[in-house]
Amino acid sequence: AGQDVGRSCILVSIAGKNVMLDCGMHMGYNDDRRFPDFSYITQNGRLTDFLDCVIISHFHLDHCGALPYFSEMVGYDGPIYMTHPTKAICPILLEDYRKITVDKKGETNFFTSQMIKDCMKKVVAVHLHQTVQVDEELEIKAYYAGHVLGAAMFQIRVGCESVVYTGDYNMTPDRHLGAAWIDKCRPDLLISESTYATTIRDSKRCRERDFLKKVHETVERGGKVLIPVFALGRAQELCILLETFWERMNLKAPIYFSTGLTEKANHYYKLFITWTNQKIRKTFVQRNMFEFKHIKAFDRAFADNPGPMVVFATPGMLHAGQSLQIFRKWAGNEKNMVIMPGYCVQGTVGHKILSGQRKLEMEGRQILEVKMQVEYMSFSAHADAKGIMQLIRQAEPRNVLLVHGEAKKMEFLKQKIEQEFHVSCFMPANGETTTILTNPCIPVDISLGLLKRETAIGPVPDAKKPKLMHGTLLMKDNSFRLVSPEQALKELGLAEHQLRFTCRVHIQDPRKEHETGLRVYNHLKGILKDYSVQHLPDGSITVESILIQATAHSEDQGTKVLLVSWTYQDEELGSYLTSLLKKGLPQGTP
Amino acid sequence: VCVAGYGQSDGNEILQLIPPPRLLTEETQGLCPERDFKVECGGFSERPVYSLRYVPDTSLLVTSGPPDSSLQVWQVSAEDSDVIKPVSTIATENGTGQSWAKIATISARAPWVLHGSRLDRVQITEVESRKNVYTAASRGSEELSGLAFLDCNTLLLCCATGRLCLADIRQPQSLVEATSVPLAPCSERWCMGTRHGPQGLEPSSQPVARLSSRGLLTLTDLRKTSEFLALARARVPSPGSGAEFLCISWAPALEGYLAISGFDGTVHVYDTQSWDSSGREAEPIFVHKGHVFGGAGGSRDPPLVTVHMWHLQKPRTLLSAASDGSLHVWDWVQPCGKC
Repeated sequence: AGQDVGRSCILVSIAGKNVMLDCGMHMGYNDDRRFPDFSYITQNGRLTDFLDCVIISHFHLDHCGALPYFSEMVGYDGPIYMTHPTKAICPILLEDYRKITVDKKGETNFFTSQMIKDCMKKVVAVHLHQTVQVDEELEIKAYYAGHVLGAAMFQIRVGCESVVYTGDYNMTPDRHLGAAWIDKCRPDLLISESTYATTIRDSKRCRERDFLKKVHETVERGGKVLIPVFALGRAQELCILLETFWERMNLKAPIYFSTGLTEKANHYYKLFITWTNQKIRKTFVQRNMFEFKHIKAFDRAFADNPGPMVVFATPGMLHAGQSLQIFRKWAGNEKNMVIMPGYCVQGTVGHKILSGQRKLEMEGRQILEVKMQVEYMSFSAHADAKGIMQLIRQAEPRNVLLVHGEAKKMEFLKQKIEQEFHVSCFMPANGETTTILTNPCIPVDISLGLLKRETAIGPVPDAKKPKLMHGTLLMKDNSFRLVSPEQALKELGLAEHQLRFTCRVHIQDPRKEHETGLRVYNHLKGILKDYSVQHLPDGSITVESILIQATAHSEDQGTKVLLVSWTYQDEELGSYLTSLLKKGLPQGTP
Repeated sequence: VCVAGYGQSDGNEILQLIPPPRLLTEETQGLCPERDFKVECGGFSERPVYSLRYVPDTSLLVTSGPPDSSLQVWQVSAEDSDVIKPVSTIATENGTGQSWAKIATISARAPWVLHGSRLDRVQITEVESRKNVYTAASRGSEELSGLAFLDCNTLLLCCATGRLCLADIRQPQSLVEATSVPLAPCSERWCMGTRHGPQGLEPSSQPVARLSSRGLLTLTDLRKTSEFLALARARVPSPGSGAEFLCISWAPALEGYLAISGFDGTVHVYDTQSWDSSGREAEPIFVHKGHVFGGAGGSRDPPLVTVHMWHLQKPRTLLSAASDGSLHVWDWVQPCGKC
């Protein structure tokens, strides 16, 4: 998915564990290019051995479409994780797509119904915010992502390193789903989709108002509105929108939803009611939001009924099935309208009419003239630039990686993220490997004695602030311990050595050693007011723990030699004193 | 469309946005594939951006803003990146108490920027070489509220006091005072709007509109500055903070229409063809109130429209931006006979 929309599949290696994130299909290709290139993962090893688990974020085919191919045709027997709604809905969409590709189009190198079933047997369903132990070290946790029913963002953790993968998410709630949310889990890496990173969203209200206006106008003049949809996803959103509008405006024209997937869709929304938004959950007791008063089940015969109507029919890109049938019936009348509510893959009828084609070649060389109005409005639920920044703010990752967008168009966002959050931002292309450096935490035991001693030094420790301590690190076998230097020496049976430096400074002074010593003492006492300068009875001078002695030069009476002596610990002061004395004694010093 | 932030702290963004297709094309389409604006490229400015102009026929853009009157030059479109990069700074001598420079650009003989924060600091600088090409003769040191190229030789300067001055760059010593303020000056602040007429017409034949912070509107013909073409009053609240966002502009595609903003969260559109010189209150053709209702939190200050402009081709379409970060693109429907 790097820098390319469709066919999401990301491989993460974390602390020796290998996790595959999503296994999607590219809807734009009809050959092997539609599947990810799994040879990137490992050249000759078995995928089951190499991968610790596979995680699927949601049921859209560009995230799970290649799963049966991957597990049954390429070969993988390890665990596959996804949320409960995803597990319930995935196989339906996969089967649907398989039917169209194989039965209608007659392709051969494709997975079978049995393969879909076998694949789903390997799936382990997870709940939101449930920590799942994949093995002793690897654990995963799902977070609510909005976007579609059951979509989740996943946190993958091994020890103290973690990665969060967002899949597709939406930071603004809509009519039937809530907004994505994650806690301040501070992962080392956040992998975020950035399809709409360069988009600044128009206000939802304006968008909806325009949509309703168009539908209303068409219906008022007696036309028919066709809205091709995928059974689950935006369809529910638009249904709620129309239902509310019809109710408010007291409209009588019938709205239909194509059968087959309708009951199942409703069933799933009822089953997974906790995955919908607050409002739906609250009002569910009084009234099921997905039981519509104005929207009825569609029958093929209704398409020929006179008069206005609105029909939601599958599939969404007008590439086959019922929606295409209805389209052919209604295309010739300019009073009618078709509204495409989402992205259409190249090659589909949906894509053709959106590009402006008004004469389509159907099977059997028949030409269909399209006189009905063609509209396109995208209600997609992806995060825009603002949403991405919001998520980063919530999770506080140390690094960010963007997928799903175009390289050139993400440079500005990359800088924006780097500037605002002071984290590194990466944008790899397909096949590219990005390495993120982490600072793993290594737990170390500290001896009680050392702890007591160190905390006694300095100000009272603050429970919320880190405190600097000094000790010796002992690494033995697999244990790490922090002990005092004395104890370390004892344990290792080493003797402690002291380092002492002595430096000779020559100064010109014809007087006796004793007087020179006094001069030095007075001089230092005058300069080093913050230090303890002592003159000992034997004539030597101490500055803190540094010893200075004046001796006569063996050959030259006029020169005295100052011996400056200090231990290794007093290096700094010792050097300072030496350079000070090298400057000589001032003339007037008594 | 280019938008920029003017917040106090650094890290203001400049964004070049591509409007959704329906706003780019001539015909009014129905629903459009994308209704969203796309960020084509973006940049970061350390100082708040108070004024921004594209330099025609180049990929450069010039901005200005406090704390001084220097200008920043930016490079917009590069092949391989979507970042707006700072290219150079056009420094100006900093007198005391200078505010930010007002700017206007033209690319007749070369890419030039006309700029200045005060009447005695007006100059034209060649953008790429940063050489000074022209300096206006000094006729006072009032603060400027706007300046414009009437054509490639003629400049019009508007002071915050309402005074208008014309200059011909071929005659550097002369600065012609165009007109004086209508009423006794009483701490009103003025700004102006000029219009480019159809090609070939003498630039000064287009009336200059001026707006005061009390809502007074004047139209002046530059060839006959001793009297007003029209005088009217707009019904507006007194602007709160210093009236620095007053803005008045002529519609490029509708004869006699102008729009004003900067008093509150609304934009007013007037048809000046019905005005006379009486100074009566004028009735707006339309008032855009969208910014007032757009906002999220109710406790915040009501948004103030910071700038507006007309769509170059679509006759009744305007764009307006407000202090809450909203950008609106709107039009109005001409009322027909029945109500």
